[in-house]
Amino acid sequence: MIEGYQPKIIGFLCNWCGYAGADLAGTSRITYPANIRVIRVPCSGRVDPLLVLKSFQRGADGVLIAGCHPGECHYVEGNYYTRRRFALFHPFLEYLGIEKERFRVEWVSASEGKKFSKLVSSFTEELAKLGPRREA
Amino acid sequence: MARIGVFICHCGTNIAGTVDIAEVMAAAEKMPQVVFVDDNKYTCSEPGQASIRDAIIANRLNRVVIGSCSPRMHEMTFRRTVAAAGLNPYLLEIANLREHCSWVHSGDTVAATAKAIELVRMAVAKVSRAEALFPKEIGLTKRALVVGGGVAGIQAALDIADAGYEVVLVEREPSIGGHMAQLDKTFPTLDCSACILTPKMVDVAQHPKITLLTYAEVQKVNGFVGNFEVEILHKAKKVDHSKCTGCGTCWQKCPEKLPSEFDHGLGQRTAIYIPFAQAVPPKPVIDTEHCRYMKYLEFMEQGKEGKKPPQCLICEKLCPTGAIDWEQQDQVSTEQFGAIVVATGYQAFDAAVYGEYGAGRYPDVISGLQLERLMNASGPTSGEVIRPSDGSHPQTVVFVSCVGSRDDQKGRSYCSKVCCMYMAKHAIMLKEHDPEIQSYIFYIDIRAGGKDYEEFAQRAQEEYGALYLRGRVSKIYPQNGKLIVCGEDSLIGRPVEIAADLVVLATGMIPSAGAAEMARRLNISCDSNNFFIEAHPKLRPVETLTDGVFLAGSCIGPRDIPECVAQGSAAAAKVAALFSHDTLTSDPMTATIDAMRCIGCLLCVEACPFNAIDSLVTSDGRTVAGVIESVCEGCGLCVSTCRPGAANLRGFTQQQLLAEVMVL
Amino acid sequence: MQEGLDLMPQIRDKARELLTSGAVDCVIGYERASDGLTARPLFAYEPNDVDKLIFDQTCAHNLARFLVNKRDSTVAIVAKPCDSRAINLLLAEKQIQRERVYVIGVVCPGIVEATWGQIGDKLQARCQLCREHTPLVYDFLVGEPPAEEPPAEPYHDVAEMEAKSAAEKHSFWAEQFARCIRCYACRQACPGCYCTECFAEQLDPLWVGIRIAPMENEVWHIIRAFHLAGRCIACNECERVCPVNIPLSLLNRKLEKDVLELFGFRSGLSAEAVPPLATFKKEERLGMSE
Repeated sequence: MIEGYQPKIIGFLCNWCGYAGADLAGTSRITYPANIRVIRVPCSGRVDPLLVLKSFQRGADGVLIAGCHPGECHYVEGNYYTRRRFALFHPFLEYLGIEKERFRVEWVSASEGKKFSKLVSSFTEELAKLGPRREA
Repeated sequence: MARIGVFICHCGTNIAGTVDIAEVMAAAEKMPQVVFVDDNKYTCSEPGQASIRDAIIANRLNRVVIGSCSPRMHEMTFRRTVAAAGLNPYLLEIANLREHCSWVHSGDTVAATAKAIELVRMAVAKVSRAEALFPKEIGLTKRALVVGGGVAGIQAALDIADAGYEVVLVEREPSIGGHMAQLDKTFPTLDCSACILTPKMVDVAQHPKITLLTYAEVQKVNGFVGNFEVEILHKAKKVDHSKCTGCGTCWQKCPEKLPSEFDHGLGQRTAIYIPFAQAVPPKPVIDTEHCRYMKYLEFMEQGKEGKKPPQCLICEKLCPTGAIDWEQQDQVSTEQFGAIVVATGYQAFDAAVYGEYGAGRYPDVISGLQLERLMNASGPTSGEVIRPSDGSHPQTVVFVSCVGSRDDQKGRSYCSKVCCMYMAKHAIMLKEHDPEIQSYIFYIDIRAGGKDYEEFAQRAQEEYGALYLRGRVSKIYPQNGKLIVCGEDSLIGRPVEIAADLVVLATGMIPSAGAAEMARRLNISCDSNNFFIEAHPKLRPVETLTDGVFLAGSCIGPRDIPECVAQGSAAAAKVAALFSHDTLTSDPMTATIDAMRCIGCLLCVEACPFNAIDSLVTSDGRTVAGVIESVCEGCGLCVSTCRPGAANLRGFTQQQLLAEVMVL
Repeated sequence: MQEGLDLMPQIRDKARELLTSGAVDCVIGYERASDGLTARPLFAYEPNDVDKLIFDQTCAHNLARFLVNKRDSTVAIVAKPCDSRAINLLLAEKQIQRERVYVIGVVCPGIVEATWGQIGDKLQARCQLCREHTPLVYDFLVGEPPAEEPPAEPYHDVAEMEAKSAAEKHSFWAEQFARCIRCYACRQACPGCYCTECFAEQLDPLWVGIRIAPMENEVWHIIRAFHLAGRCIACNECERVCPVNIPLSLLNRKLEKDVLELFGFRSGLSAEAVPPLATFKKEERLGMSE
């Protein structure tokens, strides 16, 4: 592990679950590493793979998409599309040389503040072990 | 050129205790297009908001970033603040410095401050690409559709109509009334069910604001809140109800006898029929599948071989008003509505899957609803409780609870809620009918939550001598004219056998047939049991996530009568509140489609969960997608589905999100 | 190249019949290129043009590519099996109308490696892997369908790539993308790339900067391939026309393999199929937790 290396995570969080879960982590004062930068989206289904790719290009060491659990999407079916899209895009990124550990799609409900904080902690830790990304 | 103002909130010490506010402000001053930076002890306070309003005006700010608590907390507050200064409320972005920063990184001021600066930088980048948005006013049709004429639908229709709005009540059976019309008495008051329901049914028929459409079904729903367009199928009744007086000659003389659905097969009806004596409307329909003349027509048309059915026509010959109309066909009408109340109710769980209980095989194993019909004075036995097999009077009656309920294996996992109470009611009523009857009730738990419910269940035991046995029934078999019920009394830990004359299965409630298709038509969602899902189980119990579509009664889950009535009224109140406006305001954060970029692949139409995208033809003849703004909920699924970048989402545009990424 | 030549009279007769009767405005087929060896697209508008039509193992182009531009007229098209899958794709995505396209399907013997002025004797890589020698959609079929189709396509090349380390993969692709001159020939040859304004050429939002640099090239190649995920019909025209020999099929085939494994879907098999990314199944897990 590189001394002092702080990985950077971009988190695309859906407004209703992922973002609300992160808010709950805050109101519950559950601490986690300060490595994540959150971009609020209405639905995980809003996340265009282009945004994920651009995040990596702009220096993100890891990208997280957090949406409602399948079956609980605020927009009824948005996250089912998220699941399909990134089930395909994730291995494609890996195929292009972006380690699979660097990308995560997770389901975090509005009541899962603890899960969110654990997620950020474990993701940060894993990325720190992996070290910085190679530049394009 | 954007003139962005950045306002950092201390939130007392909630943010300032962890984040170095001065450092964040210094960094913000250097960010592109930022012309003004300020801080506040409490931004959400009136002085805090006033300082933002003043700063917007004094510095001619045209974009605002507030670094404070979560936007889920105060976004609406601050939108009003900037609007009060004359700025479009959507030219505001909030950096979440509290929930996402100070509160979760306490003790690490350096990291928290660095993160806060980046969160502000992202908000500045995003707001620099923000555009002014304007809500749209849309008109609405102040006319409600109620689907389902059970007690919930009846109540909803009456309350909406009493509020002064027009209502169309659609019921697929030939009469309204639903399951409540089949019941003999209601728990815990033992009111006669028909006596309290039929006046309401008549009120529906006579209310000047209510149009009653029986023998009709909702076929297709288009449109959106305030502006639904609904296709209603009017099934052919073969009777002209404008001529029919309901004299009853036809159904008394019709020679074709069939098992009555209303009496659950215990009684008979004719091919031309009203389902029960107090039916509303009190006018018959012809069951075309079984009518002898219809069979004759079919035979002649298809040139079939064999014996020709009789050319019956008795009803037509006897009808004093010439109301029989063989030419009548199924018809579809399209009507406009502003709101829809869905009250499609339930049906009883089919106990046939419990082979060991012998439902359907042994005539004296009946369901709770069948017992209701046997006890009912206007039922097939005129209220005489007899064994269907031999017409004798039963002395020993055994009840089996939770048939289809609380059973993951063969039935449903949920509790049907009403069965415990109706078993207690049946035990009481049986005793009233014949003091010699002894009731045994096999139960798992006695669930009697509700006003006067527990007292009622106690009375069944203490005053009416019903014997409650805690345990499951394993088998029922006939022996010497009796039904041997094998079960276990788990309280004494011993197997029990009872020789019963009559067995009543307390079957649970499942959604009525076609609920899933109805949900698809209305674009609302179902749970795994096909009960409709409310917008919020606690706080929005009669709303759905589709604006303008409301729910009432046991289509949401097992409900008893008072709950159905309350929900019918609640849904009516929601409709009346909606109709109290002359126009509706739509959220402007909706999708847009750039017709120049659109290639007409229409994958967005396929993907949109709300049917908010339609195809349209441009003036140069190209087929492209177009957003129906009033239906769009703003999820943005279309944006990520769109390859050429024609779809975008106001408030979360590709440009805005990319700007956030690009300042990383 | 002799194989396939015997089909020419049938194609010409049908084309002549269609043009003479006025059933179509144009027949899109192949003619001999100016090197006298290879083939190039021919747009025959007059019955007299018909005698230029050829068909043999040099007829590489996916002519379905031209259907979108011709959607306002009625055309006939000479279609190999892979071209026919492209026609199905275009029909499914509502880009063309079935009743305005007359498909002269050709049972394909496979196309050989060739460059201008030079024909090899080896079948193209895509043809060695081909599973369909008979067109999937046609109005008139030329040639005898083989009794049996070869077994399912292996993905040896993709598996090999997958087995490499992240560092190896990264440097491999970095080197490939660095060579790209962004001529967009891959896009122009592709029947699935019919956007009027490609995302790569939009200025707002600016996804792909105008400079020819590794970072911009990377966005182009990754998103080009992903935009064809579940849509690519494996004609491999993109790779054939690439002037700097970027192994684009290695990208396309990775997605094709995963789409097949994850969603059990192959594109272009029917005109009604909904592309896998525009639909879903509630119960599927796709390797993700709940």
